[in-house]
Amino acid sequence: MAVARDRHGAAGRCRRARRWGGVALLAIIWCWCLLPFAWLIDVSLKTGNNALSSPLLTQGPFGLDNYASVFGQGFGYNLRNSMIVASVTTILCISIGSLAAYALARLRLRRKALILAGVLAVSLYPPVALVPPLYELWRSLGLLNTYAGLYIPYTAFTLPLVIFILTTFFASIPSEMEDAARVDGATPFQTFARVILPLSAPGVFAAAILVFVHAWNEFLLASTFAPRSLAVQTVPVAISVFTGSVPFQHPIGAITAACVIVTVPMILLVLLFQRRIVAGLTAGGVKG
Amino acid sequence: MSSVAIARSRSLDESSLGKVFIAPSVLTMALVALFPVLYAMVLSVFSYDGLRREGFAGLVNYAEALSSGEFWRPVNATLVFTAASVTLEFLIGLGFALIMARAFAGRGLTRAVILVPWVIPTVVSAQMWGLMFQVTPGFINHYAWFVPQDFNWLGTPGWAMVAIIIADVWKTAPFVALLLLAGLQTIGQDVYESARIDGASAWQRFTQITLPLLKPAILVALLFRSVDSLRVYDLPKVMTGGAFGTETLSMLVQRFVADTPDPGMGATLSILTFIAVLGIGMIFVSLLGRDLAGGGEGR
Amino acid sequence: MTKWIALVTALVLVAASCVGAREPGESGGLVWAIGAVDARPGGSASDTVAMWNQLHPNGPNVRIEALPESADDARQQMVLELNARSSEFDILTLDVIWTGEFAENGWLVDLEDIRPAIEAVSLPGPLQSATWGGTLWAAPHTSDASLLYYRTDLVDQPPRTWNELMEVGLRVGKERGIAPFVAQGAQYEGMVVNYLEYLWGAGGDLFSEDGTEVRFQREPALKAITFMRAALQNGFYAPGFNTMKEEDSRNAFQSGNAVFMRNWPYAYHLMSGQDPRNPSKVAGKFGIAPLPTFEGEGTISGTGGQNLAVSRFSGNVEAAKEFVRFASATPEVQRKLGQRSLAPTMASVYGDLAGDPVMALLGQVLPHARPRPSTPDWSAISEVIQREIFPAYNGQREPEQAVEAIRAFLQSTLDEG
Repeated sequence: MAVARDRHGAAGRCRRARRWGGVALLAIIWCWCLLPFAWLIDVSLKTGNNALSSPLLTQGPFGLDNYASVFGQGFGYNLRNSMIVASVTTILCISIGSLAAYALARLRLRRKALILAGVLAVSLYPPVALVPPLYELWRSLGLLNTYAGLYIPYTAFTLPLVIFILTTFFASIPSEMEDAARVDGATPFQTFARVILPLSAPGVFAAAILVFVHAWNEFLLASTFAPRSLAVQTVPVAISVFTGSVPFQHPIGAITAACVIVTVPMILLVLLFQRRIVAGLTAGGVKG
Repeated sequence: MSSVAIARSRSLDESSLGKVFIAPSVLTMALVALFPVLYAMVLSVFSYDGLRREGFAGLVNYAEALSSGEFWRPVNATLVFTAASVTLEFLIGLGFALIMARAFAGRGLTRAVILVPWVIPTVVSAQMWGLMFQVTPGFINHYAWFVPQDFNWLGTPGWAMVAIIIADVWKTAPFVALLLLAGLQTIGQDVYESARIDGASAWQRFTQITLPLLKPAILVALLFRSVDSLRVYDLPKVMTGGAFGTETLSMLVQRFVADTPDPGMGATLSILTFIAVLGIGMIFVSLLGRDLAGGGEGR
Repeated sequence: MTKWIALVTALVLVAASCVGAREPGESGGLVWAIGAVDARPGGSASDTVAMWNQLHPNGPNVRIEALPESADDARQQMVLELNARSSEFDILTLDVIWTGEFAENGWLVDLEDIRPAIEAVSLPGPLQSATWGGTLWAAPHTSDASLLYYRTDLVDQPPRTWNELMEVGLRVGKERGIAPFVAQGAQYEGMVVNYLEYLWGAGGDLFSEDGTEVRFQREPALKAITFMRAALQNGFYAPGFNTMKEEDSRNAFQSGNAVFMRNWPYAYHLMSGQDPRNPSKVAGKFGIAPLPTFEGEGTISGTGGQNLAVSRFSGNVEAAKEFVRFASATPEVQRKLGQRSLAPTMASVYGDLAGDPVMALLGQVLPHARPRPSTPDWSAISEVIQREIFPAYNGQREPEQAVEAIRAFLQSTLDEG
């Protein structure tokens, strides 16, 4: 390899080209991911009702009016509600789902394929068609406008994803670790909790982030089960209820401001946990 | 006790333990998800005039739906959308995952940046892309210098679908990236090391080590993105309202469930959509099952 | 580590289970479900409610329940409640096109006993939109009628016929390098109103006055489609016309990119530039006029607006009816709405509002404005019109076929009865 590189000129030139190539690639990725978000921030800072009357991002006037109006509509409550619902959903999904995934990946269970298929089938129904039957059911169970009315269906519909992710993850862990634990006399549950879970931290964290974000951004069921009460109304529903100052006027300023308010903590959360997702299988010394 | 007896009793414990582990999941899902399906199966065999039940209709609703061009056009649009966006999301997501797994200066920030599109609420993302693609004021047309200023993305047949696909890929490629990244973590470094020592090129290491070992994660990602794309609703509804061949199956269902309600037909279309999505999902599951089944039994 | 997780989990679960049952409504109070802007604190609805509550210190008081901004979402929430026969809402705010549907589904209480009071004061168009099958099901609350906006610095007097408008628009637009005309051409309900205005302007209609006969004639229908097709092809319609809704056309006109615009009155004050935080490129350079027709005589605008109805499942029907009558037939209430730039449905109030150019013009236009048919099948009819006219004017369907399909569907709604 080293011989081949020298033949094309100084090894340094090749390395420099690769570094610049890497930087260019990163720049493209950053632009692709962030430019629309920059648009959001830009529009949220434009005051008045001509945010959309010019294609220029630099067209003023600018101000924080939209942010003021967002919080004036009780947005703080919505943030709290979304936080609670998303957190509970994540906790439930991960705890219940990881048990099921472990069973599917490791324990002797008959008709696994059938169970997998059934688990998947659950989440395949067209969401818009869920509204009328579930509304009736929730009404009779008294679950409308409650947190439980949200995190129960959220858990149910996100479990398939969690189970699938974690099953593949658990299945890929070499069995020597568990055999060692079994020889030491651990029950399957102990094996699961003390050996498998820590080793699967990356997968568990990835699944947790996916569930949290998914529950946070869910709109359809939230707008059906908790449409108006500030005690339970979540962020996406609140955004959809934003109004302009006159009929027909589209409150794009308030909408984008709310979106920025909501996205920033989420990004911080991701920044916090992103190293967990890539922690390799170094803990516990699997190999050798 | 003889070792055979020990083994047998242990396997019995495992089987019932397996059931115990699985039970909470199954119960939760059955409670919530089974009911709408049964509800729709019942409703779909009746015919309605508006919201008034007219009478038992057997499979008439199904026949009507399946023989109508109005059903197959959204099916077509949905399939086109799904194929294109899942392919692109996979390719871009794989690229993201490979980058996120590497160590380089600014990697933490880059990982967060890559996930930004994913965390933006869908209700906002759809509106945002719709407004950016609009001819007036024409944000995309203005800043993408190679596009004429009055290019009517959302009002031209074909390009409307392209715009929607771009919006979807932007939003959900990070989801694929996250799944694949988690999968990449299961591949130990020493496998690569020995391959490098044996003289394998980067491309060979990628195609013969990474991809095969990533297969379960890839299948899970493709599975969930496919079944989600097949049921897409918000994006086309907000961006084009279904014009120029962008009406999807879920939009058709919504029409009959809420807009111009016909509970019988709405239920029928829901069941048909469900069956279609289930069919495609099962293909992936069977491919995946072969990989997963090996984990439990072969020890 | 595990203990921490367990503790946090427990706390979160406890917090979550604490929030529960809805607060019971105030006994004897009325709930007014109203969507969008008007429901905001400080919005028009709170004016009305304040006036009512002042007159009724001993109750029943009215409380506003804010529905989503989008009309479709607001309707869906009301439909969910009504389908479940819930007494959550007493007074419903209905878009003018929902009367027939809500009445037919048995969700409304008829207002026949207050009909004389309502009929005496309301404009004919709004009144028609609140009536179905000969019965008054709702009370007109606010109205709306579309207007022609034109650039006063480019055009002295806007033409009175569509063809002249096209000619002038193309000429001036070419001189200035801006689009001649913007309106609402996306595939949605707004486009249907645009099409109906062309149709009515050509002397056509959908149904007869009493709704028992189809009046959708080939000639005026084709005339309207042909005009739209030509307009799209020769550049009269701005680029992107077929994706424009109300805000898109307002944005285009407000940034100075159009000579003419057809839009609702709401845009007037947004573009006037009176608020220093809302600079407008066309401030002081635009005027409003009635829409043209094909013949040049008179004007026909489509109407919008909202009517108030009483839910059949309300716990206090009599009080609700009284509120509805109050909101629609009290001069003070209607005048206040007018001052907020919401067109009142009470004819007499327009005299007091003559100082406002928008209200003055609306006062002239509304008596001639036409509502969409108030049949319960309207959403289905609108769907069909959208799916036929949109491809037809975009050159993807033969106009003859589109017209025939619409006519056939209109007939089928009558045959089913």
